[in-house]
Amino acid sequence: MKVSLFITCLSDAIYPQVGEAMVRLLAAHGVKLDFPSVQTCCGQPSYNSGYWEETRTTAKTILKAFQDSDFVVSPSGSCTYMIHHYAELFKDDPIWLEQAHALEAKTYEFTQFLVQVLGITDVGAHFPHRVTYHPSCHGSRLLGVKEEPMALLAHVSGLELVPLPFADDCCGFGGTFAVKMADISGAMVSEKVDHIKETEAEVLVGLDMACLMNIAGNLRHRGEQVRVMHLAELLYEGVAVR
Amino acid sequence: MSRNTNPSMNEAKFSDTEKGASSVPAHVEHTMNTPLTRNNGNSATHKNTITNENFINPANIENAEHTNNIASATNTANNANDEQAQPSWLAELEQQSRRQQQTFIDHISSRLGRPRATEPPQHPFRGAPTFWNEWSWNEQERIERFTAHFQEVGGHVVSVDSLEAAGEWIVQYAQELKAREIVRQQLPELQQLRLEQRLPDVHIAVWNENVQIDWRATAAGADIGIVMADGAAAYTGTVMVTSSAVQGRSVSLLPTVCIVLLYKENLHTRLGELLIPMDQRGREQLPAGVHFISGPSRSSDIENDLTIGVHGPGIIYTLLIG
Amino acid sequence: MSTSEQRSTTVKERADIALNNDFLRKAVRFTTERLRNGKQIASTEHGNWDEWRERGRQIRLHTIAHLDYYLNLFVDNARANGVHVHFAEDTAAATEIVMTIARHKQAQSVVKSKSMVSEELHINHALEEAGIEAVESDLGEYIIQLAGEGPSHIVIPAIHKNRYQIAELLSEDAGEQLPPDTTILAGYVRRKLREKFLDADIGMTGCNFAIAETGSMVLFENEGNARMVTTVPKTQITLMGMERIIPSWEDLEVMATLLPRSATGQRLTMYMSGITGPKRQQDGDGPEEMHIVIVDNGRSSQLGDPEFQELLNCIRCGACLNVCPVYRQIGGHSYGGTYSGPIGAVLTPALNRNVAEWDDIANASSLCGACYEACPVKIPLHDMLVYLRRRKVERGLGNRWESLGMKGFAVVMGNSKRLGAALKMGRLFQKPIVHNGTISLKVGPLKGWNTYRDMPSMADDPFRERWTKLEQELDQQSVTMDQTMQDRMEQLIQARQRRQRGDRNES
Repeated sequence: MKVSLFITCLSDAIYPQVGEAMVRLLAAHGVKLDFPSVQTCCGQPSYNSGYWEETRTTAKTILKAFQDSDFVVSPSGSCTYMIHHYAELFKDDPIWLEQAHALEAKTYEFTQFLVQVLGITDVGAHFPHRVTYHPSCHGSRLLGVKEEPMALLAHVSGLELVPLPFADDCCGFGGTFAVKMADISGAMVSEKVDHIKETEAEVLVGLDMACLMNIAGNLRHRGEQVRVMHLAELLYEGVAVR
Repeated sequence: MSRNTNPSMNEAKFSDTEKGASSVPAHVEHTMNTPLTRNNGNSATHKNTITNENFINPANIENAEHTNNIASATNTANNANDEQAQPSWLAELEQQSRRQQQTFIDHISSRLGRPRATEPPQHPFRGAPTFWNEWSWNEQERIERFTAHFQEVGGHVVSVDSLEAAGEWIVQYAQELKAREIVRQQLPELQQLRLEQRLPDVHIAVWNENVQIDWRATAAGADIGIVMADGAAAYTGTVMVTSSAVQGRSVSLLPTVCIVLLYKENLHTRLGELLIPMDQRGREQLPAGVHFISGPSRSSDIENDLTIGVHGPGIIYTLLIG
Repeated sequence: MSTSEQRSTTVKERADIALNNDFLRKAVRFTTERLRNGKQIASTEHGNWDEWRERGRQIRLHTIAHLDYYLNLFVDNARANGVHVHFAEDTAAATEIVMTIARHKQAQSVVKSKSMVSEELHINHALEEAGIEAVESDLGEYIIQLAGEGPSHIVIPAIHKNRYQIAELLSEDAGEQLPPDTTILAGYVRRKLREKFLDADIGMTGCNFAIAETGSMVLFENEGNARMVTTVPKTQITLMGMERIIPSWEDLEVMATLLPRSATGQRLTMYMSGITGPKRQQDGDGPEEMHIVIVDNGRSSQLGDPEFQELLNCIRCGACLNVCPVYRQIGGHSYGGTYSGPIGAVLTPALNRNVAEWDDIANASSLCGACYEACPVKIPLHDMLVYLRRRKVERGLGNRWESLGMKGFAVVMGNSKRLGAALKMGRLFQKPIVHNGTISLKVGPLKGWNTYRDMPSMADDPFRERWTKLEQELDQQSVTMDQTMQDRMEQLIQARQRRQRGDRNES
């Protein structure tokens, strides 16, 4: 059985430790990940900006990279959801369309894979900190990943989960939106960070490095000490200390 | 009714759930002392007609014998565009419209990429989901829920045993309110309230009993309007009133206080139980106005802050009879 | 649809004004929070919300797919009820019809209840030019009319104003100082408008739903002003978007379940009125003459367009505005059109068929999907925003630098070797500007980002360079997978294969 890691370009270039935590955590449960190095990016930046022809080029590299995989797992709900748009991109191309459907059916976001596929909600982690969780929009709303991270967090011993006010509100990232509409995006992320501060959490955890990069960037800009982590990092760290 | 959006707090000010109680918030009295219309004084001249029940429409008298007083065939829509009375500019607009209808609708068909649909399409999703149409509350629950829902938004519900008791309650309420003008629909049940005898100092206007009067102005000058509900839905806390020659729309709209009489047997569970009969009656049997009223007039347009009594009656009572 | 002065600015410029107006932002946040909480509570209390949404969507999809049949049926029935029905392709035609009626009625005053179509057509402007007084009677509309503004929210037109600003406007209108007390302010408007209602020659309304099978029109409201407008004046004119149709009263139950709960969190608005024709001959009130103007104004161009036809399903509840994190920051006027928020960002360019305008409005969204989740008829607004952006690019109207950038992006991302090389180059180039793991330089595209955030630097060893070592390390300490886990995975694969075979057999 071939389970492949779809690292996503952001984790690849900026947050390799997230991919590594995932790989190590899954290895501990006997899931040996495969990493097709021909993979690149899901194509979301160009798709969302309306450049679909360019997106098709990128999408094909992803479709080819995971052709032989039985499962694909990724540390991002947003990039996973982007694969759900591939069918639309190739709706007039029967060959690629079939591949698009096949990839969509076998691709899972990290917590989906743990909970839905492996049936794991308790990884045996210990993490004695005050934590708040930001549910990223694409993962929670569009991909429907809501229960899985909650189930995993609930089983971490010592962890105190503080509800984030207005948790469902977008952090303001939105890809090129953060650059094109910088002031609106800036107002959004500032408000998100205000809410995080209200929780007095030591750690902010999430499932999408793009959103977390945005929030962490504002936290750092304001000199705030909140630690920002992907859930895979938190769980791995919680297991490693045991 | 100060700046207070908590329904339970509003309720406290209106506390009247027990039989017969009533209260008038201070600012309402203030409103009532303000002339509401320029024609306010006119209605006083018609006092001599008040005991003279004079139904315009015999069909409605018959119909009104039944507690479920839904308007009858006499309410039939004007078979309109009766060309004889139409001024020429209107006839011209009408002709222009009929010419355009074909083009306008054909354009829709062509945008939809098919020939004009002339047969009724299959509508498999008509109305509420099946599970919804299959439940109802028993009478006790209907009364409790209706009361709770109507009160929650600032309306009042008073239970009375009979029409006679409703009359007594209204008399007492009108006296407390120091009402000077009451307008009521021209229906036999409301005549049975005997308000004319019981409130000799109050002018009771009977809707449309005399065609010479400006009835809208009369209603606007009234302190209390009294109407019969044709039905009600407990789930939304809604009463339904309809219009006819003897049932003015203004009666439930223009006075400061609106009192709605509702027979318990006309209280249903779901809104659909009031709406589906409209389809069954069909176009020709529908009254011109059907009004579903779920509480006092209100607005939240200033800072989403609840204000009661904007345009419509700020005080509304449902007298639940039976 | 949007006024010319608004078109001359970009959404960014308009948003900047709003972003620097703390007053406005506080007012908008305050009210949208209340509304969205109200909706949350009401829909949860009602239960099975997603089933109801799906039902609402199906009814709307069905009606729009057969709009020719249902609209024609409505017209025939409304006529049989005695209504004068008119058709207007665009603003000019609608205005002409309204003005013809007003002229022949020798109208001096028109009293109006809330109508987004009338805002879209700028009817007040036309009436006033002809010397006819147009009075908005909805409290919020009255306030913005005094301020000389358009609505900044579909349901709460004066959402951007607080009570102090409103007290000032109403004091000026009253010629005396009114305190910023909601009850007193509303009381003033009640008294003032009572006179206007009784004076008015024409009552003008919008239309929430039009029932095809009986030719009835339905209005939802809380204040009673729409009832006033349809009861007191002798002539009634209703402006109605051509897509407002539903087949039956039975279908109205679904809309009455979805609309008030989504808009304001109410079980039902205080008044829901079904008007079937003008007053009957012997009725003592109600309009003697009733007109319905059916307006296209860009709507029909959405028909038959697979990506945008669903836009016509909108029931104008405003729920998408109340949950939108962008609307929350910039308010309604920043959108530059009659309709604001996510629905406005799509509807404005769609109705205008104005390619140039697609530019910035469609970009003012992070595509978070909150609008879709809130929509009672499940319109995929977040997808439509992407379609608008794509159409602009396809028409060659994309930003030149962005187009170049996206071509470069495709070149790099189309091949992993090029990506690997780019990562190496990036690391090299970032060296001089990285301090402490972050980049805080404010030039080019980094300027906007770094005004609010610090940019993380690229990792010294990207994942693809770590992989070989990591794989070797893990190979040495391999753990065997639990049997139940393995079975689960096998079963999932089999189920997937069965589904795929099924799909193929079907097609």
